[in-house]
This record gives sequence, structure tokens and C-alpha cells, in this order.
Amino acid sequence: MAKITIDHRVIECSDGIPVLQAALDAGWDIPHYCYHPGLTVVASCRLCLMEMQLPHPKTGEMGWVPKLLPSCQTPVRDGMVVRFDSDLVRDNQKSCMEYFLIDHPLDCPVCDQAGECHLQDYSYKFGSAASRMADQKHTNPKKDIGPKTLLYSDRCVLCTRCVRFTEEVSGTHELCSVNRGSRQEIDVFPGMPLDNPIQGNVVDVCPVGSLLDKDFLFKQRVWFLDGTPSICPGCSAGCAIRVDQNEDVVYRLKPRFNPGVNDWWMCDEGRFGYKYVHDAKRIAAPVLRRGADATTPDWEAIPEIVSYRFAQHVAKHGDDKIAVVLSPMMACEEAWLLVKFIRGVAPSATIATGFVPTSGEAQHFPVGCKPDEAKFTILPEKCPNRRGVELITERAGGNTCDFDAFVKQAVGGAYSGAWIVGGYPDEWVPKDLTKATKHLKLLVMQDMFENTLTEAAAIVLPACAWVERDGSFMNHTGKIQPFERAVRVPQGARRDGQYLFEIAGHGGLYSGERVREMMAEEMSEFSEVGDAPPKPVHQH
Amino acid sequence: MADYEPVLLRNVGVDGSRTLDVYRARGGYKAAEKVVKDMTADDVIDEVKRAGLRGRGGAGFPAGVKWGFLPKGRKRTLLCVNADESEPPTFCNRVLMEHDPHQVIEGIIIAGYATRAQIAYVYMRVEFHEQFHIMQNAIDEAYAAGLLGKNILGSGYDLEVYVHRGAGAYVCGEETGLIESIEGKRGYPRIKPPFPAVEGLFRMPTVVNNVETLANLPHIIERGADWFLGIGTPSSAGPKLFCVCGPVNRPGCYEAPMTITCEELIMGDAFGRGMTDNLPVKAVFPGGTSMGVITGDELQMKMDFDDPRNFGMLGLGTAAAVVVNNKTDIRAVLRNVARFYALESCGQCTQCREGTNWMYRIASRIEHGAGRIEDLDLIEEVAGRMGMMPGLSICGLPDGATFPIQGIVRKFRGELEEHIANQEPGKAEAVLSVLN
Repeated sequence: MAKITIDHRVIECSDGIPVLQAALDAGWDIPHYCYHPGLTVVASCRLCLMEMQLPHPKTGEMGWVPKLLPSCQTPVRDGMVVRFDSDLVRDNQKSCMEYFLIDHPLDCPVCDQAGECHLQDYSYKFGSAASRMADQKHTNPKKDIGPKTLLYSDRCVLCTRCVRFTEEVSGTHELCSVNRGSRQEIDVFPGMPLDNPIQGNVVDVCPVGSLLDKDFLFKQRVWFLDGTPSICPGCSAGCAIRVDQNEDVVYRLKPRFNPGVNDWWMCDEGRFGYKYVHDAKRIAAPVLRRGADATTPDWEAIPEIVSYRFAQHVAKHGDDKIAVVLSPMMACEEAWLLVKFIRGVAPSATIATGFVPTSGEAQHFPVGCKPDEAKFTILPEKCPNRRGVELITERAGGNTCDFDAFVKQAVGGAYSGAWIVGGYPDEWVPKDLTKATKHLKLLVMQDMFENTLTEAAAIVLPACAWVERDGSFMNHTGKIQPFERAVRVPQGARRDGQYLFEIAGHGGLYSGERVREMMAEEMSEFSEVGDAPPKPVHQH
Repeated sequence: MADYEPVLLRNVGVDGSRTLDVYRARGGYKAAEKVVKDMTADDVIDEVKRAGLRGRGGAGFPAGVKWGFLPKGRKRTLLCVNADESEPPTFCNRVLMEHDPHQVIEGIIIAGYATRAQIAYVYMRVEFHEQFHIMQNAIDEAYAAGLLGKNILGSGYDLEVYVHRGAGAYVCGEETGLIESIEGKRGYPRIKPPFPAVEGLFRMPTVVNNVETLANLPHIIERGADWFLGIGTPSSAGPKLFCVCGPVNRPGCYEAPMTITCEELIMGDAFGRGMTDNLPVKAVFPGGTSMGVITGDELQMKMDFDDPRNFGMLGLGTAAAVVVNNKTDIRAVLRNVARFYALESCGQCTQCREGTNWMYRIASRIEHGAGRIEDLDLIEEVAGRMGMMPGLSICGLPDGATFPIQGIVRKFRGELEEHIANQEPGKAEAVLSVLN
């Protein structure tokens, strides 16, 4: 640890980090564009300049250096004295902001970035209201640089964060700077569009409205959006994300800083993979079948119906012919509640882990790097909580098995009653499992979309999307990360956690935290969950 | 100065001066032989340090000291020869490479030996087509004669020399811009530290020296540091090449000690031989445009490393003078200078990228007779808000834009104000309203 003095205040920070980072972490709002903690330092925007004290070369006396120094490029050393609250620094910030706006179109009313734009914020805070630039503006073109991204180079401040991202993180090198001086612009190489599995991050690192997400373009003003911290369910990496919604419609997902997991990034698969949440074909109400007769019961009656059916079944067929399949799409809390319920009515029921969707190989970035040197990885396991449900299955003890074993036994008629949880965005039911339904006299199916199992089920319960639930996922490294509810469930549906909470015999409202407290009593893993740190000030 | 015997240009005008035979016949490669056979690297550095050879590329940093920054115990060293020569009126490196390429190569061998470099890259601007072939032929000749390559002159010292051609950017004359360009990247100057001596080309310790600096080395070795110090003044020792161009009777590249004044360079019989049509001098950019401007009344300025500062200039620069006569509209000069830096700013640092172009736009408008009196203050302020000296940029290019532009506006303010006062009334407002 080093002690440094910023604006007469002594702060403690790690040695060797940039002074800018230390100041931002300690709560200063230092304007900056080109600096991003996940990218190399280029010190080119010249906005974060500071004054520093150094010993005089002749007398050795400490004094302010008569020039400004980039705080992003200057590493912290113990005992250093710097300041940002001087006229020299403020003058530079002011003139710098004027320069950034010289050729900027000032089209904030139609710009997607407006409201979360650091050109707006810094102009307001550090710049001046009027520009003295009276001559004609030079307008760089708007360009379509890839299937998912637009580049409005007239708005660009040339921080080159996006270029460095494609060079250093994705390793795909699609973006580059072309031309010189004020005619410089960001561009792609001819015939090589910006199209890589993590390209969406260039939109996030862009501090202004220059790089735009086609998916989000003109959909919503950002000040209408509410962000909720969440975890991406797209693969087992467990990237921390923020769900931006307005009136229960999700408009976009953004990565949250999560050191050691996804750092600052997320993949496009996760970023755009939430669309199923608003699919009209989702099951939105419970269904109860008696023969050919199907009804929609009241949610209040569900716990009783389910308990009664299982109790009846156990009485008739014994408790060892019941199985529960825990989907890796479930939160740990939900899986635990379901296990508690089943083991309550049928102590020797089999607990099986559910279907684990996989696709391809792990993709490491920068492209071509060794797996242990990767800055970002997309994992082939396309579900968020395999390790979580495995842990809960294991701790449940007694009869347990994995999904393949369950399917085999079910086809062989080993079970007469089952509760199968799905909740996958894509089709998932294996053919064998469909065949096995003829043996199942009681099938409770908890899923998001209609499939052969929901058609055969006696009770269908809607599974909700993760943005509608709260709980925690355990990622592939075993880190348990909580996520919060971002939007309300579709009309007629109820959160999985809530009905499982009631079915398991608890009263009142379900909350992930409350259930985790109960779980912690038997599973110490859940006594503390590793939430991503609060968003650092610097992140734009 | 009539009795001055040229040293650097001694072979210029001699028949076949480009060939190895002629160069050797006139005493060439003796210094290189002495160095690689009889001297240690430290001997060479000490001799050059003692001679006080200051870099001829513009900044005037002592060459021996620069070599001294190389880390001890390094495994590899690279030498870059800056033959980018892109400062507007400068062409002395061109003369050296065109007429006496072996002198430069001898300098490369000496510098390479002193810095223990194994590879030297001659970074040449792309516009030097002919010079490239001349240089390459000379290098081939030197290789064939065992002066380059493995085991130079049987001494056991190896040096490979490559000529690398640029792609036409002023900023690639900046040493780290040059390094990036050799690496095949965009010529963006690097942030320092680390300095090239520690981490330069391909992340290895690198020395970047100007062609003229290297051309001095054979003479320092051959005749000794004392001879070198006997020319000029102690802080500006040694022979120096001066260029003069513009409306003078005999534009060209001349050699002189650094005691010469600007007036002598323009008027002297051995130099420019006066202005064409005997027109008075209005302004001179005596160090390449980047160093600033002096008026016709300041011609007594000495062309050494120190005196230009007394005239509001950045330094001696490349010692290439562009002369402007009194028939030239100062507004056109201002616009022309501003245009150069607006086009050549690499675009990395905000103040330089936006500021140089802003100044160009203002200067163009003033030239077209649509200036406002407040534009002069504005252009001066913008010019003052860029550059390495106030810490606002990575490289020195914007400083080079500040000095001439601020110099013109300050020293010719009366004339500019007069032009603006005599403009068609209302033109500035009319032009600005059309633009926006």
C-alpha cells in the first residue's frame, strides 16, 4: 500500500496503479476518455492531466512541476503529492472539452447515448456553455461497420478504446484508425466487418454515442431505463450483468465489472440472448389435467393440489418410485426448496440433475491465446447453474443420479411419478424422455415453453425467465453469485421461487436472501455469496 | 567565413562522390577502421561526449549522452537512422545522402560500434526515391567491401544495415513515431517513459540519430574532439549544415560553423547572396518552420543552439531558413504554416488534433478577407494550449505548430490587424453565417 496526497487529502492505495485509478477509486470525478482499466494506457485524450510535486533538479526542494502530467500514465509511488484542483488543471479540462466539441454534431436529441454520455456530463461539469468555434464543422461519415454495430464517426472523440479492445481483448483486430489529424476516424478494413463473438463490448467502452448497438438503436431513451444487477444465464461463466428495463420490458443487457469472472466484458450471445423473455409463446399460467380435461387452477390452490397429488401417489405406489429433475437453469434456492418438498413427502425419492445444454468448444479471447492467459472466455455449457444443482443434489443425499441415468431408468419404467424442471430457452426434451412419459402416472412439469412433456403432464407450472426471478447461480469455478429480479412475471404467472416456497410449506413472500439464510444452516457455502463489487465510478 | 573549409560537404561536387572508390580515395572509412580495430565502444562514446556533438535533428540533445542512457548489460541494441527529414524547408540530409552516402554509412558504423548495435535501420521518407537508390547502392558497395555485415574489416564486429522507407508522414520524424513506423504500425508517437534507449524498436534498447549527426562522427574520430570544439562556440561546436530557400538569389545547402548569423546566411556571398530583386526581408523561419519566426529586423540572430531562444524561438531546429520577402501577404504565410500542421498532426492527442485544424480554419478565413479582430487572440490562445512543454501532448509536433503561429500573430500583429481593418465591411459576418 502507498500513501499519496491528492488535493491535500491523503489516501491509501495500491502501489503502481495509475494515479487516475487511485483518484477515481477514492471518489474523485476526474474526466477521462482514453483510459480504461481493462485496456493499455495511451494517454492521448489529455483530459485527466494533473499537477505533481517533484524535487527541484538543482535545489532538491519539493515543488510543483511547471507542466501538466497525465494521471493515467503516472504510476502511484508512496509519498507522491498531486493535485487536480488547480487553475492549470481546470483550464486544461475546459479547453479540452471545447476541442472535443469542435466537430461534434451536438445531435443529443437523437443520440442513443444521451443521458449516459460522458461528453454531455463532462461538458456540463468541466466545460463551458458556449463554443468559440465559428467556422464550418468537419463531419466524418456515419458507417455500418458490422452486422450488429454502427459507427457514427462524427460523434467520435478518438479515444481509441474500441480499437484497443479489438487488439487486446478480442484479438480480432477489426478496427483501426485511418487518416490523420482532425480527419482521423475509426474504421474497419475493407471486407472485414466488426463481427466477433464479443464485439458488443466496443459499444460499452465507447464513452460517447459513436459506437451504437443496432439492437438497441432508437428503442428507448436511457433515462427511462432502470438497471438491476444480475448474472448472465447464457453459459456457466456467470458474467455479472445489468438488466436495463422499462415497464417490465428488457431493452438491453450490459456487463458489470466482476474481477476474475468477466472483468468488464460480456459476449454477444449473452448480450442478445434474452429475447426469449418476451416470447408470446411462453407458458404463463398453471395447467391442471384430469384425463382430457384441462383447467387453470388458482395459484392459491396450487400448493395444496401438488401436495395432495404427491401424497396420494406415495400412498399408492410407494415413495421410491418418485424422481425430481433439477434443471441447471434453476436458482440454487429454487432447487433447494423443491428438494425439501419432495424429500418431505417422499424421503426415498430420486433427485436427478437436469439436462445440461452444451454447444461447441470453449472460446478464449484474445483469439488464439492459451486458455490460462485468456482475458475472456465463452464456455460451452449453456446453462448458469449446473454446479449449483449438483451441489444441492449431492447434499440432499439418499437416491441421486445424473440426467442420463434418470432418462435410462425412466424409459425402463423405474418411476411412476416425476417432477421435471426445464426452463430452457431452446427445445431440449430428449426423445427417450418423451417415450418414458407413458410410465409416469403423475408428472409435474415446470417449463417455459410447450413441449412433449408439458403435453403429457398432469400439472404444468410456468417456469419464469431469470430476469423475473431472484436467487443465486454457482458458476463453473464454484463461485455463488446472487441475481436480482429485474422485471415482473407475465400476467397470470408466478415466480418459481414463490410457488416453490409455498409448496415447500413456507408462508409469505419468497426472497432469495431469505431462502439462502435457511440454506446456510445446512450448507455453509451459502452463508456468504460473492456479489460483484459495486460499479466503480470510472466505468463508462 | 570565406576561409571556412567544408568538412561535411567536402565531397559534394567531386566526380563520383557517391562511389566507394572515390570516398576511400579521399580518406574515407579511415575513421571507421580506427574505431572497429583500435578503439573500445566506451572510447568512442567518451570522444563524442568530449566533442559535445549535439543532435542535428532539431532538439540538439548531446549524442554521446543519449548513447549513455542505454542500459548496462543489454543483450541487443538497435540503431535507427532518422532520414525522414520532413521539416518543411530542410534538405541537408538529402544532400548528404545524395552526394556522399558513404560518409553517412561510416557514421552508422561508428555509432553502431559505440552503441554495440547489431542492426541499423535507415528510416527514409518515401519521397526520397532517388536518394533511396543511391543509399542502397552505397550500402551494397559497403557490404561487398566488407565494411558492413559480418566481421567488419576483420574486427569481429557485425552490423547489418537496412533501409526502411516511410509512407509520407511528418510525425514519423519524431523518434518514437519512427520506431512505430518501422514496426509496421501507424506512426503514433509513444508515451514516454519508457524512453527508446530502454525500450524502443521491437521493445529493445534503441538509439535514434539523425543523418547529419552521424555524418559528423567520422570527422570527430579522425581529427579529434579538440578540432571539433575549435569550430563554432563551446555549446554549439562543430560544422553545421544550413539550408536557405525562398526568394533568395542562391538557395541551397551550405556548411558553416554555428557562429553565422541569419543575415549572413541570406546575404553572404558564400551563401544565399541576397534577396531576389533586392526586396527587403519581411520574415524568416530560420530553423525549419517549427521553430518560429523572426522579422526582417532580427536578422542579427546567431544560428546556434542558444541564440534563437532570445528571439522567441523554440530552438535552432534543423537550421533551414525559409525567407519571406515583403511582397508576400503574411496572412498567406500564416495559413500555409497552419495548414501544414493541421494535415500532419497524427491525431492522437486532443489539443493537437483539434487545435491545429481549428487554427487552420481561422487562418484560412483571415486570408480570405473574412477575419475578425478577435480571431487573432483566439488563434494565439489555441496555439498556446497545445504541445509538450505545457504537458498537453505526447510528442513535440504541436510545439512546432505553436511557435510559428504564435510568432506570426505576435510579431506581425499590426499587419494582420491592418488587413482585417481593411476588409470588405461585413464580410466576416456574412462568411460565418454561410458556414453555420
